[in-house]
Amino acid sequence: MADVALARRAARPARPWMLAAGLVLPAAALSLLALAQALPPALWLDAVLTPDAGDLRQLLVHYALLPRMAASILCGAALALAGAIFQQVLRNPLASPTTLGVSAGAKLALALATLWAPGLFVLGREWIALGGGALAIGAVFALSWRKGLSPLAVVLAGLVLGLYCGAVSAALILFKEHYLTGLFIWGSGALSQQGWETVATLALQLAAAAALVALMIRPLTLLSLEDAGAQSLGVSLHGTRLAALSLAVALTAFVVSGVGVIGFIGLVAPALARLAGARRLRDQLVWAPVMGAGLLWLTDQLVQRTGGLSGGILPTGAVTALFGSPLLLWLLPRLRVAAPPPRTEAATAVRRDHAAPLLAGLGGLLLIGLAVSLAVGRTPEGGWAIATSDLAGLLPWRAPRAFAALCAGAMLALAGGILQRLTRNPMASPEVLGVGAGAAFGLIVALFTVTAAGREIQLASACAGAFGVLFIIVILGRRTGFTPERVLLAGIALGALFDALVGALTASGDPRGLLLLNWMTGSTYQVDGLQAAWSAACAVVLIALTALCTRWLDLMPLGDAPGQALGLDLGRVRFILLGLAAGLTATATLVVGPLTFVGLMAPHLATRLGLRRALPQMAGAALVGALIMLVADWLGRMIAFPWQMPAGLIATLIGGPALMWLLARR
Amino acid sequence: MPDRPPIAGLSRRTLLGGLLAAPLAAPPAFAPAGFAVAAEPHFPAPLRRLAALDYGLAETLIALGQPPVALVGAQDWHRWVAEPPLPPGVVNLGSSREPNLELLQQLRPEAILSTPYLAGIAHRLEQIAPVLTFPIYVPGGRPLALAIEALERLAILTGREDAGAAVLKQAEATFAAVRARLRPQRDRPLYLVSIMDSRHVRVYGAGSLFQDVLERIGLANAYQGPTNFWGFTTLGIEALAPDPRARLVTFDPVPAGAMQALARNPLWTSQPFVKSGQVLGLPAVLMFGAVPSALRFARLLDAALAPESGAPEGSSHG
Repeated sequence: MADVALARRAARPARPWMLAAGLVLPAAALSLLALAQALPPALWLDAVLTPDAGDLRQLLVHYALLPRMAASILCGAALALAGAIFQQVLRNPLASPTTLGVSAGAKLALALATLWAPGLFVLGREWIALGGGALAIGAVFALSWRKGLSPLAVVLAGLVLGLYCGAVSAALILFKEHYLTGLFIWGSGALSQQGWETVATLALQLAAAAALVALMIRPLTLLSLEDAGAQSLGVSLHGTRLAALSLAVALTAFVVSGVGVIGFIGLVAPALARLAGARRLRDQLVWAPVMGAGLLWLTDQLVQRTGGLSGGILPTGAVTALFGSPLLLWLLPRLRVAAPPPRTEAATAVRRDHAAPLLAGLGGLLLIGLAVSLAVGRTPEGGWAIATSDLAGLLPWRAPRAFAALCAGAMLALAGGILQRLTRNPMASPEVLGVGAGAAFGLIVALFTVTAAGREIQLASACAGAFGVLFIIVILGRRTGFTPERVLLAGIALGALFDALVGALTASGDPRGLLLLNWMTGSTYQVDGLQAAWSAACAVVLIALTALCTRWLDLMPLGDAPGQALGLDLGRVRFILLGLAAGLTATATLVVGPLTFVGLMAPHLATRLGLRRALPQMAGAALVGALIMLVADWLGRMIAFPWQMPAGLIATLIGGPALMWLLARR
Repeated sequence: MPDRPPIAGLSRRTLLGGLLAAPLAAPPAFAPAGFAVAAEPHFPAPLRRLAALDYGLAETLIALGQPPVALVGAQDWHRWVAEPPLPPGVVNLGSSREPNLELLQQLRPEAILSTPYLAGIAHRLEQIAPVLTFPIYVPGGRPLALAIEALERLAILTGREDAGAAVLKQAEATFAAVRARLRPQRDRPLYLVSIMDSRHVRVYGAGSLFQDVLERIGLANAYQGPTNFWGFTTLGIEALAPDPRARLVTFDPVPAGAMQALARNPLWTSQPFVKSGQVLGLPAVLMFGAVPSALRFARLLDAALAPESGAPEGSSHG
């Protein structure tokens, strides 16, 4: 009998409810366990209906335990519903509140309002968050408009915008940390509740949104037809799209304003639903919220179980990515992504480059920048001064930072250039692919496991981390022919995994986790002469090695055929190039942290300047990258004197808009 | 900004140097009292031009009548320390995590007063001037005792032994007086919290300056749970165990709107100390301070609690 049943079950396709039960049942069991530990079952009904104000156990159950459960379920469902709508309307399996920058926009809007316009809170937090989210998604559409809102372009714009909003938030926290302390706890998605207020609001909002979604199922289903087909059926395409997107943005904003940013649920839950067999839109819209609710509920129960041990706060939002990213990585090969048409345009230009004068000009700019960076500074009184006789005394403070930043910028730019050519993906870069995050991860492992990790160990483990990420991406990419979506998605997942780890460490109160924050934002403060010399030496060696590879780099964007025709061992070439990119990223990450846009931006700027062949483009990218980081470091030391803004953060703040401009024009 | 980042309240030195130094930051705490003095660099004359990289050390210097020439986070002094006021002309060195070294060098201090918190950059500070490290907040340390040690050491270094002795004498007298006055309230334990937002508080316990002061003035801390080595932990309000005798003391600054939001929070309003109106609001006291902050805390607490003890001059700040 058992055998027969087993065989039958194996033969049948997976059903959504099975997976949903797999999430919900353990969550419910853990919840009951938590309840039982809080209060004897005999009192449960009292606690739920009419808690005895004198019995704190009952009050805790009524005002903390139960609302928290409800909040996790509601938020999970709302985010998953938002994700499912985004994915349907944009026909993009990667769309989600996180990847479209909506959550980050809503969070930033709340942070800005807290600081400069607290009066706005009279309107209600929801509206501020909604405004921020709407602006963010509006910006994402504006940025990807020229590319016809193609899935890749939209997600890329969303990611860049999300990272940018995150950088601005980080800058605010560095400067105004006290005023944002509450925001910090809230912003990382703490689900803890002390009453039914938030839950009741969320429930109403979700119910209203769900009712509207139910009304829109038919037109939304038709959206998946070709535009013309839907129009002939009398559906107003733009109206439907706009209404559905507004709904999804609103759902996201409600969650963000209620409990903060909770990543990944909106991306993973619809994917889970699809994987479990919910193919039709109607099924998607039903099962994605169920999966989302189950996932967040389970996550939150686990967080409470483990978080209670450390005695502090462990924000659930930081942990969802810990579950979500590996899940996403596992899903990747199983996810159906419409394959984009192969790139036909060759990245090389036939016309001759006017490379030499351009490169000389960039070199000249870099020298001028270096001179300014070393000589121009602020006086103790706050004025400006050009150092003359006192330069010798100031150089030990200025030169190591300037040189290290410069080298890091050049190395990141080269790594970005290599990765873009290697993966034939214009949006590849150490930052986007999570290579920087990998390097940082390697570094963390070293610092947490080796008692006194010297520079060599740090560098080696950072390299190992960077290479590990690249390796995973290559493995995932090779199976799928390096489709940009998958490569990007893998990068996102790995990057988020790392962020989550740091977030969880930070919230747990481990001092080493807190130290990471400062470094993550890319401060060059700690760089001394020795480290600068190290960076410079690594940069020289790695740049020289890259220069030896330019022939390969010219060939890679053309596809495998030309290389094979020339008798190259493509596997070996890829391996070497990946190794180089990993080394470059790791060395740079040690100096300026994992979060700059230089690696993505510099190669594009070089291309826009007209440098297309590998050698001049890479040289130009290195010079541009060096210049950006140099200027960022100098600005960071100057603008808020005597405060010092991290160079990586400034580079992001300058680089973000530049990159968005590039995206919009492409 | 207080001396330590309120987000974390823990050291956030930049990673590369800081992480390596973090495990090394502890040992001075366990060193015998004479250790630090024995390791003192040789200073021929009393020190005058001192740069302080810590609020607690700065307030100690001010109490000794020898204020620092430069201080980190000087612009926020009034918000976090309030008393004693910062004398005019003290140069602001910027962030407490990343004091501006270039600026510090131009000021040519005779010595730099630092804490284990900045051990990661000690070797760079040494290039500017001798660095004197004063451990006050260290794992397993008793901040008040360590702060008194720091005061004695600073008094010797600045040649103000008399002033130092006077401050300590005054401190002992104050603690004794407050202890006597608050004796009737010994069985009323206190929660000492900073309100973070409408759901979370930072509660001070073992390892905090406040804890040490409570012991000196004979009062009990209602929070007996774990803390980090700065002596606090961040908790949801529901995690404060109810104690019908307990009172709650909050410190300024309280985030805007947080009190109003708390008033609507059932878990807050059902706490015994809220129901019986036993929530006392104190002005700002540097939670990571030294002897002057300990004194200020004792005095403010005395003033807030004294009416119940029948002292004529006290007034509540709630």
